[in-house]
Amino acid sequence: MENLKQQLKEQIISALNLDDLQPSDIQDDAPLFGEGLGLDSIDALELIMLLDKQYGIKIADPKEGKHIFASVSTMADYIMAHSAK
Amino acid sequence: MNTRIVITGIGLISAIGKGRRETLEYLLQEKTGVSSIRLLPTKQKELPVGEVPYSNEQLADLASWDINQPITRSALMGIIAAREALQQATLMQGHTKNMAFLNGTTVGGMDITETFYRDEKNKYSFLPFHETGACTTEIANALGGFKYQTTISTACSSALNAVIRGTELLQKGEYKQVLVGGTECLTRFHLNGFRSLMILDSQPCRPFSNDRNGLNLGEGAAYLVLETEQSALERGVEPLAYIAGYGNRSDAYHQTASSPDGEGAYLAMSDAVSMAKVSVSEVDYINAHGTATANNDQSEAMAIKRLFGENKPLVSSTKAFTGHTTSASGSIELAICVLCMQGGFVPANLNMNEQMPESDTLNIAKHTIKTKLRYVLCNAFAFGGNDSSVLLSSEPADLPLLKEIKRAKVVSDKMASDEADIKQYMSAMEARRLSKSMQQLYVVAMEAIKESGLKPTDIDAIICGTRFGCIDYSLQILDAILTSDESDLKPTLFMQSTHNTPASMLAIKTKNHAYNCTYSHCEKSFQDAKQDALDKIQTGMINNALVVGYDEQCEKWQDLMKNSGSEYQPQIRAIVIL
Repeated sequence: MENLKQQLKEQIISALNLDDLQPSDIQDDAPLFGEGLGLDSIDALELIMLLDKQYGIKIADPKEGKHIFASVSTMADYIMAHSAK
Repeated sequence: MNTRIVITGIGLISAIGKGRRETLEYLLQEKTGVSSIRLLPTKQKELPVGEVPYSNEQLADLASWDINQPITRSALMGIIAAREALQQATLMQGHTKNMAFLNGTTVGGMDITETFYRDEKNKYSFLPFHETGACTTEIANALGGFKYQTTISTACSSALNAVIRGTELLQKGEYKQVLVGGTECLTRFHLNGFRSLMILDSQPCRPFSNDRNGLNLGEGAAYLVLETEQSALERGVEPLAYIAGYGNRSDAYHQTASSPDGEGAYLAMSDAVSMAKVSVSEVDYINAHGTATANNDQSEAMAIKRLFGENKPLVSSTKAFTGHTTSASGSIELAICVLCMQGGFVPANLNMNEQMPESDTLNIAKHTIKTKLRYVLCNAFAFGGNDSSVLLSSEPADLPLLKEIKRAKVVSDKMASDEADIKQYMSAMEARRLSKSMQQLYVVAMEAIKESGLKPTDIDAIICGTRFGCIDYSLQILDAILTSDESDLKPTLFMQSTHNTPASMLAIKTKNHAYNCTYSHCEKSFQDAKQDALDKIQTGMINNALVVGYDEQCEKWQDLMKNSGSEYQPQIRAIVIL
């Protein structure tokens, strides 16, 4: 699980062009959107694409992303529960 | 005195028919043109679209075009629609030489680019057709040539902005008649782009309905002949409607999302209504932008509520008839408004199952309503938050008189530098999506504004001239679509691919809600942008303007152009005019 979270942070940084951030800058439970990292709706779409490309998980309704992408921890939980790979 | 500007001809082609008569039949019969994809060569066949039901060969036939001469689909549709408008205005071949032609398009020749981009044997063959200005030139030449022609490319508000600029040229007395509007064919480029944003519905779109789930793309073209009332009187041509007011404003919120309170939309509609000096209670009908995305319809409903309050004009979106015809939507829907004013009806807002909570106070016309229409407002909103609104009147209406009252002066003129450092202006988080060229643009624009002594929020107009737009991301999108079998496209690329991305970025980052426009007409893009600024300042419409030229460094594009024997000199420049 810790490995998955670390890997996710690296993938998020790369997918969202967060070049100035290190994986250690992103806390497991800190909110990714709004008050936390401050991501927006396009980032949510990029994360949907990331789940598809890296973990084979398809999300058809972008509204679902809100809960899945709350934090790195919630993303990791979702991947563990739904990963096809 | 050119304060009365009239519409004397309209011509259109879309999924609901070729020409005025067919369009009127579809509207009155509440018959949609949205159906499954039949012509566009794409893998995304599950997506419904408003496709013009003619192949390129059939369109060429209708346009009297020799099909052996390559031409873009947008230009073919444009020629057909423009001829109908000129004929209705009884402007015969040869007359166009005294007129101005303002064309709105963003796709330009992308259909030809998609066909040949990866064709090693013919890899340069698309280049003469690619730019938006080429599409305009193809149409202009087929019509017999114009005294002046330009292309406005502000994504989905392009055609309405062409109407606005054309109206101004008439107000200034530079021309007696202008041809204005826009054209856009479906392409894999923007179909996949909108798909990457997850805003395409796999069902027929349902504007303003609580169960709406995205838009359906469409295609088509529409043009209007505008002329001074005096010219129409002299020629003995009956006005179809009067331009009573207009507005273009920046939402200054996000490249692809509308603000929750619809600020740009509110300001654009408000400008249009106050220019006409009419009360909001006098507006009978609003042809809404109404794309059926969750975001647009919520935002637009808020803007309408804010402006109209307890006055409830009838509202409908005709996009469930035509699909969202993007750059052409403004003129297609304005032409539809004219048909409705003449026929005395409000067109149906199709597929409305359950009114959304945000629009509970809107008076949505679920079905055709027979009624006399005096004042009609037409909205077109675009990526980058480029929001435009035009008010039509069935009775004579006066626009402000535009005459030169002062000389304009360029007070700063700067070229972008490779050493531009964005960090002094915004955080890394805020700058993370901006390409190097876009960062250079921001820095040079801020330097030019600083030298002028103004603040970014004091700027009354942000106008950009760009020949090829965001060519780097556009090529990356083409590569992504064409090599991945249309499965792999990053939304971050598409959200920054329209020609108006640079001007919108400047508005968004500086929270500037003023007029925002982008010209994309071959080598004279910057010149046309600058002329727009000069005209507005010299007639006292605005006090100052930031004009930017934007053509980015892109090795791949520079090689293509060079190897094909064409000139391409990337340049990023900013001037401030007072």
